[in-house]
Amino acid sequence: MGAPFRRLRNGSVAVRLDEDERSLLAGLLDQLRELLGTDSPALRRLFPPPYGDDDERNAGYAVLAGAELVERRLAAIDTVLEGLELDQLDEEQALVWMRALNDLRLVLGTVLDITDDDSHPVVTEDNLATVAAYEHLGMLLDALVHALTP
Amino acid sequence: MSSPVMSSPAPLEVAEPDTDAATETERPWVVIVWNDPINLMSYVTFVFQKLFGYSKAKATKLMLQVHHDGRAAVSSGTRSEAERDVFRLHEHGLWATMEQD
Repeated sequence: MGAPFRRLRNGSVAVRLDEDERSLLAGLLDQLRELLGTDSPALRRLFPPPYGDDDERNAGYAVLAGAELVERRLAAIDTVLEGLELDQLDEEQALVWMRALNDLRLVLGTVLDITDDDSHPVVTEDNLATVAAYEHLGMLLDALVHALTP
Repeated sequence: MSSPVMSSPAPLEVAEPDTDAATETERPWVVIVWNDPINLMSYVTFVFQKLFGYSKAKATKLMLQVHHDGRAAVSSGTRSEAERDVFRLHEHGLWATMEQD
């Protein structure tokens, strides 16, 4: 099977995902959309406090930037969901896909409590599907980054 | 005390500034990216290239610094410039903070 994402001469990115991959992405993106706007700890890595232990400034940033970050993430989710059947993405769409795939990985990695570099999550009966999705997203994201890297 | 994120230009005539406050506003802010065990090395390198226009060599060097030292300074500027960079890094899922030099 060929690479899931491949740069074309016209600058677009060719997408080659099978039905299972498209439905995996659709399901995960729907879940992320439900999660965004809640205070779930699974979202911790998407909204890091920028000012260390300065609670007052962190709160100010959260007010100003937090809602905008949520909006952009929701817009990215919609872009991918609306384009799931496309076989080509222009560069702008591909960059949005990249952010959305990375958001999904960050949330799944947080849920799996991945704490060491280069470590793979311990697979149990309960987290088997999450681990598989996490690993697969890593493969897709890496392929997309390589397709986009000049 | 908290100062506004987007500071307005200083008026032409101002009272003699408090020395500490002047130092506080003039010292540049540095944007730090921290190592995290989830983000892919290829992704982090690409984001540095895209957001800051760094060459692949410079972006790779910064990514490796994050990976090995746990953190790297990726940009600096006024508080609002740093906050803008932090925002763009957060938009891309990187663990970024800012601190005053």
